[in-house]
Amino acid sequence: MNLRLHIWRQAGPNDMGMLKTYDIANVSEHMSFLEMLDVLNEGLIAKGEIPVAFDHDCREGICGTCGMVINGRPHGPVARTTACQLHMRTFKDGDEIYIEPWRAKAFPVLRDLVVDRGSFDRIIQKGGYVSVNTGNAQDGNATPISKPDADRAMDAAACIGCGACVAACPNSSAMLFTAAKVGHLASLPQGQAERSSRAMEMVLQMDAEGFGSCTNHYECEAACPKGISAEFIAQMNRDFVTSALGGKA
Amino acid sequence: MKAFGEIWRSNLFQKWLMAITGLLLVLFLLGHLSGNLLVFLGPAHLNEYAHGLRTMGHGAVLWGARLGLLAFFILHVSSAITLSRRNRQARPQKYVKVEARSSTLASRTMLYSGLLLISYVLYHLAHFTWGAVHSQHYAQVSYILPSGEVVPDVYTMVVKSFSEPLIVILYLLSMVMVGLHLNHAISSAFQTMGVTNRRIMPLVRVGGPALSVIIALGFSAVPLAIILGFVKI
Amino acid sequence: MELNSAIPGGPIQQRWDKHRAELKLVNPANKRKFSVIVVGTGLAGASASATLAELGYNVQAFTYHDSARRAHSIAAQGGINAAKNYQNDGDSVWRLFYDTVKGGDFRARESNVYRLAQVSVNIIDQCVAQGVPFAREYGGYLSNRSFGGAQVSRTFYARGQTGQQLLLGAYQALMRQVGLGKVKLHNKQEMMDLIVIDGRARGIITRDLVTGAVRSHMADAVILATGGYGNVFYLSTNAMACNVTATYRAHKRGALFANPCYTQIHPTCIPQSGDYQSKLTLMSESLRNDGRIWVPKNKGDQRSPDQIPESDRDYYLERKYPSFGNLSPRDIASRAAKEVCDEGRGVGPGGLGVYLDFADAIRRLGEKVIADRYGNLFEMYERITGENPYKVPMRIYPAVHYTMGGLWVDYNLMSNVPGLFVLGEANFSDHGANRLGASALMQGLADGYFVIPYTIGGYFAQGGLQAVSAESPEAKAAVTEAEQKIAALLSIGGKRSPTSFHRELGKIMWDKCGMARTEAGLKEALQRIPELREEFWQNLVVPGSGTDLNQSLELGLRVADFLEFAELMCYDALQRNESCGGHFREEYQTEDGEAKRNDDDYCYVAAWEHTGVGSTPILHKESLTFENVQLATRSYK
Repeated sequence: MNLRLHIWRQAGPNDMGMLKTYDIANVSEHMSFLEMLDVLNEGLIAKGEIPVAFDHDCREGICGTCGMVINGRPHGPVARTTACQLHMRTFKDGDEIYIEPWRAKAFPVLRDLVVDRGSFDRIIQKGGYVSVNTGNAQDGNATPISKPDADRAMDAAACIGCGACVAACPNSSAMLFTAAKVGHLASLPQGQAERSSRAMEMVLQMDAEGFGSCTNHYECEAACPKGISAEFIAQMNRDFVTSALGGKA
Repeated sequence: MKAFGEIWRSNLFQKWLMAITGLLLVLFLLGHLSGNLLVFLGPAHLNEYAHGLRTMGHGAVLWGARLGLLAFFILHVSSAITLSRRNRQARPQKYVKVEARSSTLASRTMLYSGLLLISYVLYHLAHFTWGAVHSQHYAQVSYILPSGEVVPDVYTMVVKSFSEPLIVILYLLSMVMVGLHLNHAISSAFQTMGVTNRRIMPLVRVGGPALSVIIALGFSAVPLAIILGFVKI
Repeated sequence: MELNSAIPGGPIQQRWDKHRAELKLVNPANKRKFSVIVVGTGLAGASASATLAELGYNVQAFTYHDSARRAHSIAAQGGINAAKNYQNDGDSVWRLFYDTVKGGDFRARESNVYRLAQVSVNIIDQCVAQGVPFAREYGGYLSNRSFGGAQVSRTFYARGQTGQQLLLGAYQALMRQVGLGKVKLHNKQEMMDLIVIDGRARGIITRDLVTGAVRSHMADAVILATGGYGNVFYLSTNAMACNVTATYRAHKRGALFANPCYTQIHPTCIPQSGDYQSKLTLMSESLRNDGRIWVPKNKGDQRSPDQIPESDRDYYLERKYPSFGNLSPRDIASRAAKEVCDEGRGVGPGGLGVYLDFADAIRRLGEKVIADRYGNLFEMYERITGENPYKVPMRIYPAVHYTMGGLWVDYNLMSNVPGLFVLGEANFSDHGANRLGASALMQGLADGYFVIPYTIGGYFAQGGLQAVSAESPEAKAAVTEAEQKIAALLSIGGKRSPTSFHRELGKIMWDKCGMARTEAGLKEALQRIPELREEFWQNLVVPGSGTDLNQSLELGLRVADFLEFAELMCYDALQRNESCGGHFREEYQTEDGEAKRNDDDYCYVAAWEHTGVGSTPILHKESLTFENVQLATRSYK
């Protein structure tokens, strides 16, 4: 198939950037979206042009490195699918595709479609862990954890940290990302000791990074390639307010 | 321990303030609505109710409620403005193309519906409380309650006002705005307060919009019934 | 060169305890005076960085990713082994040790493997304490599944995302230390070289992938946890950025590279669909429990699979290995697939694929049972291929998955360059010639959480470390060298992209040094690789500059190293005149086509010394002794 791509090109963090249009021919329906961009880039190199920079690594939907807004949707039109797992059979001959980077103050563009997601790491640094040094642990079976609790923890822990939730949110809020970690650890007995301070510290760091607030559009949930539920946001809200009012979550 | 000032300024606390004040305002609306619907029972019921409100605790209850509502309103609006400003700053560069999946017209227009509602509330107060607009209808007539007390005839004021098509249209449009605002607001407030979980979340996501429709229809029923002639003096 | 593996004496069960007792300690107050560089933030790197920081060392961690959470450990699906014996099915440290040595086709060091089995139990405890959401039974206790190469149920898992959850556990521990200021994390920094001063590893050179700045970083010890080199084949199940640069540059600075030819090929991957293919996707091996593998009996049969009657199908695994059938081990199943495809009976585009057919299982068990067991895998397959595996058979083909070889290390995980430690897939130590499923995660975390924290202290406590600075001639020379290499790459101004060279190299390696190798083929590869390398330095084009984010340059630098490293792999494969585990030489097979090991002549670790690009490396041998497990032939008939 033949496609017309409108891709955000930006030479560096301080460059203005603009959409540039590229025509690409003979795209196979079996290609992944990123392979289609690979082919485009090989063509650009052959013409002596600078290829489009985009983040990617595992190409099997788990590392969370890739991310671009495709036709107005983070990771493209297919639900629960990362850009690397999106295949060209989703598109048809003659389609026009807009490709833009994640847009958020807390995710500055480094080049073209590559953004800096260091803000996510700094949120985790504020409490997205259990403070246990290596060697402290008791036997793994010493504390039984009910299957529903373990499953719920896993539902939240499935987050790949790609940032699609921020990209999809009209307010560039990182609530789903933060809530996924808070919710994962709050579902387990191991996470209880630091539960109140964790929610408080991580939420405040989210503000400090310049993410917006949640207005419950649930665009994050719809865009999340791992289908993480906004119920974890409710849980974090609860933990946060309890902590703010001096209680124990 | 975090200083409370820092917590107060945080997005999530502001959001929580907005939610709780919003829900209290919704409770007020429900009370207001049940009062309004007394129109259908005739002048005696409505006027007695209105009189009761004014005189309860020698007027202290009414003034307490008014001050409380004002405080909720101010907190609600100020947090909304703070958060909206921050949300705008969170995305300095807009997308060329955006395709919404789950947000709604209501959720995306909360600030605008909210701002319009502020002007509506002022108009509404000017109309029925202060008598500053449409004053030809304001407390012109008195009414003698079955107890023998002479009170302002609220019933007649309402019916006369809503016999004017222009006023009815203004109110009906405003009720569309109320419905639109609440359509997102109610379920959103529950989510923000963190009372939703896996089991009740679907209920809240359906129940909130349903309640918003009920409230909007309920309020609209009065002017509609009057202009269509179902309720007369 | 004398290879001292530093294996403690005494009964194997007591060696690690004895060694720990004998290792000198660093006083807690003195730990903060030592600095450690850790390159890589996968399971091994993140766990090592976090643990060393907890102990009080000053750690600098480096990753070329934008976050420490993205390393390819994250993609491991199946699980992690541990000798917990929670299932009461007769598992023990001894049995895990035995299975691993046997699974490694008797080419691993007994002592290291025994230690790995011992600490495996601590890993599970540690991860549970971190909040890793392992699967649980209804009673709340940890759940296990069985995995290839073992007759007990000892694999712990978190849905199909075990690697992700373990990595996030280590990442969170690391983030905690970063937050506490004990680890300085350098994101988007790629290691370019190792700095060796007075014979010791004292620092690294990095390139900032955003600004292009080349810098030196000094420390008292350097830990490489930079993963495997499977991407030398271009197409593999590895992530796109996985590369050999860090370990290869250390090799060029004197570290020996051990057993580079040991490559694990995974039989159940989704086949290549076209030339544009950038990587291969693994499908869990568990599919072979219910799927039947077949190809058409006749060459060039173009009928669609449902039109091919039973009589025209060849269920070749069931035919050749009646007792194990479709569940034959990875290496055997992979080779058998290649064989039928070489005969021209492969299916799908390019004839590089075999059917994995669930029709019988669906008839027998119903679609629902199959969906319960493999639903997510079927979904993944359909997303990638656009074909519905409930209706048409899956197509699978083997792909490079893991590399057992790596930098040579002693029992302390230290290479022959003092102060240079190597962990995880980057070292050669624990899997011999073949790795069992669910053992890679185990090794990465064992090295990082429970081995290096002890052994690095022993190294520091020996003393003798002088202060070094970035102004030392060695560091400055290494910076200049790296800058020159970058400048050279940018200035070639030829016609071919880094990817095109990488693809061509991968093709040579896959054809000549892949699933089956021959002397003639390897010699041909040893001729073609230098030619390709020559062309690379003449005809490469890297657009853009060296002073900003330039992904073509990153790839170019990595491919340049692959082009040198590939030769080393071929040398190793050529010298090993036997077939064992992930190394199959066609000349050395039994009459039935099985791998024929040669324990008399090749029971050793091949550790290679670099002698210059294009010159033959020197082979050093560490002989392997098996005192606890008897050498035996693997048979799966």
